[in-house]
Amino acid sequence: MRLEKCWFCSSTVYPGHGIQFVRNDAKIFRFCRSKCHKNFKMKRNPRKVKWTKAYRRLHGKDMTQDSTFEFERKRNRPERYDRNLAENTLKAIKKIDKIISDRASDHIKNRLKTGKVQRQKEARKQLELGIHLVKAPLALAQDSSLCLPKIKVNVSQAQTEENQPMED
Amino acid sequence: MRTVLKVVDNSGAKKVMCIQALKGKKGARLGDTIIASVKEAMPNGKVKKGKVVYGVVVRAAMQRGRCDGSEVRFDDNAVVLVDKQGQPIGTRVFGPVPHELRQKKHVKILTLAEHIA
Repeated sequence: MRLEKCWFCSSTVYPGHGIQFVRNDAKIFRFCRSKCHKNFKMKRNPRKVKWTKAYRRLHGKDMTQDSTFEFERKRNRPERYDRNLAENTLKAIKKIDKIISDRASDHIKNRLKTGKVQRQKEARKQLELGIHLVKAPLALAQDSSLCLPKIKVNVSQAQTEENQPMED
Repeated sequence: MRTVLKVVDNSGAKKVMCIQALKGKKGARLGDTIIASVKEAMPNGKVKKGKVVYGVVVRAAMQRGRCDGSEVRFDDNAVVLVDKQGQPIGTRVFGPVPHELRQKKHVKILTLAEHIA
């Protein structure tokens, strides 16, 4: 039994799932479900389809290089059955899975960090400028800690002259 | 019935039309034997046009389930011509063949094949 990867979306194909398509040049395409199969028949390029792993890896959304990927390399030589080895491998698989998922989520978190900081800055600025929408002006006048910031707006003479012909 | 299949050996025929599926009420699938009529043939070949021959389906565009639960599909419908005993008439087979043939005891075709899917 071997767990294959879907050609289109790169998810694992478990036994009993999916379709295997053999092209006449003897290249085998495995698909995890009919969604991937139909996209393939439509001749879509997985590198351009946003929800596939190929797109995400290509555009830096998911991590591409990690030492843990060595564990999932395809090995064609079958190992002689050894009970201890099998037990240890099963334990290791669990641990490695956890490590991979932690590293992947860290990668995504780091990627989204800059956006989060930017949005917080913008929100703070918006609150400062629009405090009059939140607090009544009377409350602001009484409570000097929440005063409106003094906004300086430069009005240039040239601008007003240009506007006049437009209004006619 | 009436399915035109591609012949992928060097027996001389190019296209055959299925006239009967041996074994099976619903029709022949991947790995089954059929009786076919040669519709198109190479000028100097072992089989001539109009001859009635037996063939083994080696590629089918319809998916066939395997015992591990997966399904296989090929790109086209192809057949290898055999005699009544099941021995291939030609000496070469082109393209991939499925390993379902092993179960059907068509070992000779598997040995001649260039790729087993």
